Parts: sequence; C-alpha cells; structure tokens
Amino acid sequence: MYEIMTEFIQPADIGQVHCIKGFEEIQRRFPVYLSDESKLSGAHADYLFFPADEAELAAVLVEMKRLKAPVTFSAARTGISGGCVPPRGAVVSLERFDRILSLRHEPSAGEWRILAQCNVLLRDLNRQAMDKHFPELERRHSSADAAALAAYREDTRTYFYPPDPTEMSASIGGTVATNASGARTYRYGPTRNWVRRIRVMLASGEVLDIPRGRYFASPTGDVTVQDAGKNQIVLRIPDYPAPRTKSTSGLYAAPNMDLIDLFIGSEGILGVVTTVEVALLEKHDKLSVVQFLQSDTQALDFVEALRKDARVRPDFIEFYGPGALDLLRKRQADDPKAVGMPPLPGPGTTAVFFEVSFDPDAEDPGVGVLETIAARCGASSEDSWAGYEMRELDRFKHFRHVLPETVNGIIAQRKRHIPELHKLGTDLAVPDDRLRDMWAVYRDTLDGDGLEWVAFGHIGNNHLHVNILPRDLHELEKGIAAYDRLAAQAVAFGGVVSAEHGIGKIKSRLLSLMYSDAQINQMRSVKAALDPGMMINPGDVLAE
Amino acid sequence: MKIVVCVKQVPEISNVRINRETGTLIREGVASILNPFCEYALDLAVHLKKESPGTEVIAVSMGPPQTRSALMRCLELGADRAILASDRKFAGADTWATGKTLAAVIKAAVPDFNLILVGKQAIDGDTAQVGPEIAEFMGLPQVMYGVTAEFGKTRKRIRVRREVESGYEVVEMRLPGVVSASKGRLIRRLPSLKAIIDARSKPLKTLTAVDLDIDDSHLGLKGSLTQVVRIFPPQSRADGRKLEGLDPEGARKAILAFLQAQHYVEGGQPSC
Repeated sequence: MYEIMTEFIQPADIGQVHCIKGFEEIQRRFPVYLSDESKLSGAHADYLFFPADEAELAAVLVEMKRLKAPVTFSAARTGISGGCVPPRGAVVSLERFDRILSLRHEPSAGEWRILAQCNVLLRDLNRQAMDKHFPELERRHSSADAAALAAYREDTRTYFYPPDPTEMSASIGGTVATNASGARTYRYGPTRNWVRRIRVMLASGEVLDIPRGRYFASPTGDVTVQDAGKNQIVLRIPDYPAPRTKSTSGLYAAPNMDLIDLFIGSEGILGVVTTVEVALLEKHDKLSVVQFLQSDTQALDFVEALRKDARVRPDFIEFYGPGALDLLRKRQADDPKAVGMPPLPGPGTTAVFFEVSFDPDAEDPGVGVLETIAARCGASSEDSWAGYEMRELDRFKHFRHVLPETVNGIIAQRKRHIPELHKLGTDLAVPDDRLRDMWAVYRDTLDGDGLEWVAFGHIGNNHLHVNILPRDLHELEKGIAAYDRLAAQAVAFGGVVSAEHGIGKIKSRLLSLMYSDAQINQMRSVKAALDPGMMINPGDVLAE
Repeated sequence: MKIVVCVKQVPEISNVRINRETGTLIREGVASILNPFCEYALDLAVHLKKESPGTEVIAVSMGPPQTRSALMRCLELGADRAILASDRKFAGADTWATGKTLAAVIKAAVPDFNLILVGKQAIDGDTAQVGPEIAEFMGLPQVMYGVTAEFGKTRKRIRVRREVESGYEVVEMRLPGVVSASKGRLIRRLPSLKAIIDARSKPLKTLTAVDLDIDDSHLGLKGSLTQVVRIFPPQSRADGRKLEGLDPEGARKAILAFLQAQHYVEGGQPSC
C-alpha cells in the first residue's frame, strides 16, 4: 500500500498535563532536561511537559502549535549529538511512557515480540525478556497476557533483544529514532532490523500506526498520508542512494522502501515514536576473545580474515589501536583494579576483541578455526584472553568501557585548566573495501598534525571511534580541522559522517559533506510535509 | 613432582537467593563457578609448576556430573589433567564425608602425590574444614592460609607465606603435605584462546565409589556427622545513623546521648 491514514487522538485538557513553566524555574529545578550526554550548551526552554499518554502528548502539540512554540522531545537523554537539547520553546519529557504493553508470539515470523512504550529502557526490556519476568504484564491480570507469558515461559530457550548500543540505559524509542547500533550490529544489524511496528505522533497530534511490511513508497517514490481532516499529504522519498555502510546520517531512503524505515533513524524530526514493537532472538552461549597482535597491519589482516571465513560468525569485531592500548597500559600501571584484566602486552601491540557462539560442554566447541586464522596472520592464540562464563563475559564488557572512561577522565582533567577544551570523537564508517585506506588516512592525518589520538570500536563495520585528545586550544582548533578532513575523506570513500551517534545539533554541519543542497532540500521537503510549521525537534539533523 | 589441587564448584555467590519458606538456596538461573579460593590454589600450583618444570598438576573434585565444568575451568587455567569423583553415594556429604572421600580419591588416583593444595574455604559454605580434614585423614602436615609458596632446592620441603592475624608468617613444611590458599592475586587470570581449546583434549577422568578403597558407610549422607537443617539469611539491620556537620564536642555529645538512650552507657560514662 502506498497510502496510509492517520489516527485522530482526542487531545486531553492541556491544563491536566504536568508542566513546569519558565526558563528560570526549569533551569533551577530541572536542569537535566536542558542537557544530554553531549553536554551541548545554549539550551533554552520556556515549558517542560511530562505527558502521561498519547492524549496528553497530543494536547501538548496542539497547544504549542497555537503558541507557535517549537517542541523538543526528550527521553533517556543518553544521546551524544545534542538531539534532545531544546534551543527554545518546549521540552517534552517522554519518561512516563515507560510500560511494556504486551508480549506475543508471531507465528508467521516464528519470533517472540514485545510491544513497549518509548521510554522503556533497553536494560529493562532485556532483563525482563531474559528473566521471563514482566511485572507490568503480571500485574494486569489479562488472560491474553497470562497465556502469552505462560507460553513464553514454557519455551525453554532464552531470548534477548539484539541491538546493543553499549548504553543500555537508552530508551527504546530513542534507539528507534536514532537507529542505534553498536558492536553487535556486525552480526545482527542496527535497530532497524528488529523493529516490527511503531506508532508515531506527528506535529498535528495525530498518529501513524506503521507495522513493517504494509506501507511502502510507490515506484515513483511517493507515500500518501491522509489525515483526519481528509487532507492528502504526499511524501516524496529522497532519491539519493542508501549508504553502503551503517548510517544515521540524515533520512533513510531507498527505492520502494517500507514507510517504517523513513521514521527509524529520522531523529524525531518527522514525529515522535510513542510505541515500538520489537522482535527477540534466541540467546546462545558466547566466547569472548581479545586477540593481541603485533601491529595495526596485522590487526587489519586478522579482521579481514575473520570476516572472510564463513566458518566464523562473530557477533562483533572491535579494535584497540596502539594508542588505545598504550593508554590502557598506563591506567593499568596506576590502578590495576580499574582495568580489571591481566597485564597488557608491551608497547606497539594492538588488539581485536570479538565474540563467537560457543558450547562449553561440547567435545569440540568448533573454535579451532580461530587459532588457524590467527596463525595465518602471524599471530598466536596464546597471546589472547578468552572467557565464556557470565562473570567473565561481564569482565570483558567492563574492559570495553574502560577506554572511553579513561579518555573522558583525561579530558576532564585538562578541562580544569582550560575549560573550553573537549574531546573530538569521530563516528565515521566506510565500506569494507575501504577499511585499510581509511585507517591510513586516520594515521597520516592525525600523526601528521602531531595530535594525541586513540582509535577503538567497531572495526567489523569499518566504523572506528577515533578520539582526538587536544592538550590546548591550538590543538583543539587543529583537531576540528582534522576531523572535517577525515569526514570528507570517509565520504569520498563511499562512507558516512555519522554511523551511529546521529547528526543531532552537533553534526549538522557535516551533513553537507555527504549530501548536495538539493538532497538536503529533499529531506526538508519530507519534514515540511509532515511538520509544516517546522515545530518539532528544531535544529536537529537539518540546520535552521 | 605431582601436585593435587582439590576444587569445588559453587554457585556464583552474588546471585544467590534463599527461599524463605523452604530454607534452601534458589539455584535456578544461578551460574556455577569454580570456587575463587580453589582458583587461587590452582594459581599456586601453576606457579610452582613454572618454577619446577616437569611438575604435573592434577585437579580433583567431588560432585554431580555438572562439576565437570569447574574441572574444565581448571584445565583451561593450567591443570594437566582432572579427576571427578561422582556417584549418587557421595550425595549429601558434609565436610567430614567430603574430606574422607577426597582423601580416598587421591590415594586411589594419585598415590604418588607430593603436595595437596586446597582453597582455604568455599564461598558457599565458608566452613574451611575440608582441607584440614584431608590432611588429618591422610596423616599429613598442613599449612593453612597460604598466599605464596616455593619448593625447597631438593623439593622435599615447601616454604609457604601464610596469613596470620597480625600479618604474615613464613613457614617450612616437609612434603608430602597439604597447603590451603587464601586470597591470591588482585586480578584473576584469564586463559588464552589456545588454553581453552587445548583444555578440551586434556584427560578428565570420572571415578565412582567402586573405584575407591573406602566403605560405603563413610560416604555421602550416611558418612556425615553433621547435617544442614536450615539455611536462612541474616536478619537485615536497620541503617546506621550518620551525624554530619558537628564539631568534635558536638559529636561527642550527640554520640553519648545516643549511647545513653540505648542504655549502652550510664551517666555519661561507659558502663563496662
């Protein structure tokens, strides 16, 4: 179907919606709603709303439209691109949309699905799915819920929600809005792959209920939205090609695309996701391995060999560059407990961290191939750490977090002397065949500029997080210029300027590296069709 | 040299909950791990092996078939082979019967051992009895709470640095003997991928009651002198009070007033 109808939501009495008025009052009593993990400054809001349901949310949108006040949506505020930092108008917290609504088995797909409100946190969703314990559903005493729960518990397998954007205190709605990914995207794809249905409230206060597989762009690239007033809104899907790598750089577009994909990753500029249905996947035992290698070249060889060998299906492939391990080694010398791992090998080494399925009780757990791959690359499986018990997997997970924490600690210390300093973190990704080229560009550009930098992250998806650590304002300036050159080069390689963090407000200047003015205007046209007053999430993705 | 390391599989203690009605541990969904103190004992063994090439490290455990996974962990962390004593007749053993059984296993499977290492205690029962019992049953000298150990030049003696209340004590013991291990290194070791793969081709043998030279009356519940009647969590205490923002004299008065109100002191002076 190329046409979809909105659902009219009777707005509640706006007087009933919990609201804090006045910037000073918000700043004094609720400053957290003026910020997110990006620490972007310059926030301003005259209203702070806490709607409890769609009717109250609709009331807020109608009222703000009347007052011509733009609205910025805010949920778990874990984003690092400033998406939910309000520039003016109202900030609408979705934190009361925090209930799991249903659990069901979808026979046609052979999968279990959870329907949740947008501010259910990933860690809660996963814990309940894995423990098979859903307090909200159990309290409701509905016979349908009870039957689904009983069947779910009878199923002896354990299930989980695969997207793992590291920050598990992120909200499910936020991760849909940003098409969040993370390490496990290598095996399971980004959030998009696991979303089966969404409800999106448009700026008008009406709702689009979009199950996957029902509404598509027509062969001419149009989707028609009929609103409650019988007006027909034609959305023209942008005609730029979809990137060859994971991306959260502007609106997703593809020929004959599913309408649901237009909203996933749109960073809330087209509407606010209120409810999400996601699919679960059976969980298997895993083996985590940190393989140490003698150089960055050897690490790239190892990554490519892992990707090519059909016998290996890693959940993720992560990288620690030489600088990253140097930093961890220093931290380990100062505070071994903070790193929590055995002594790291000597300077110059790199590491590739990956995870594969593993049955510890099998006579041959089938991981011998990993030794062969390491040997082929000139490395030894003796120079590795491996673990599969839950407590060990938790140790590896902790280890993954130590590096960004260490970087942030260093920057915080430097900020004490130079408050304007900040870290510069890239989020660029390139296609598989450009990984080596991009690595050479990182090394040549940043070493050439004499900057302090570390590289780590999702090398499986050719998506490294390069962190530049400026020591003074001159280096900060140099770092910003270098960042722009790196981004331009990634785009020249067919890559993207933001693979997972989103554009938000911080990276909108980078969008023009990827898209022409005409293509950015195509995005604006889609937004203008659904949000004619440019009311929602102003300044996100598309610069004002 | 042959070093036997006696190990136990325990529930991961941070997850343990107790069913208040039945007074038993809720084991559902609780991971089983190698007792950390047994891992420290294994670390000592691996260290001694490194210092004395040619030494063989043999991990031994008593338990149900799933105890194999704890022994597999030992093989991954450097044991050369493992022995599991598993039989329904062993079920319900207290520390006394466990000590007797393990002593019988060692006599049967590694009669030419030089050293027995154990963890100082298991984190589930916390009795710290099995190690000393094995030593007594086998008529061996014992050094408890060891943190480091090294063989003498002739390998007929072992020098152990052990924890005592006031600090550490270094003692020497003739071999064969029993040493229990206290807390080991700050950061636990991790096996390499190679060690995990190789562990699966190391020998892991299972013994049953018929393989041991011990009468059935000494085994399991039948051979136990004690029985756990009930397990219950300690009653949780109320939160303490924190006095803040007081000068020393104010703090003294506030604490004294509290102690008097609780009848710990009388008339401003301690009552004892």
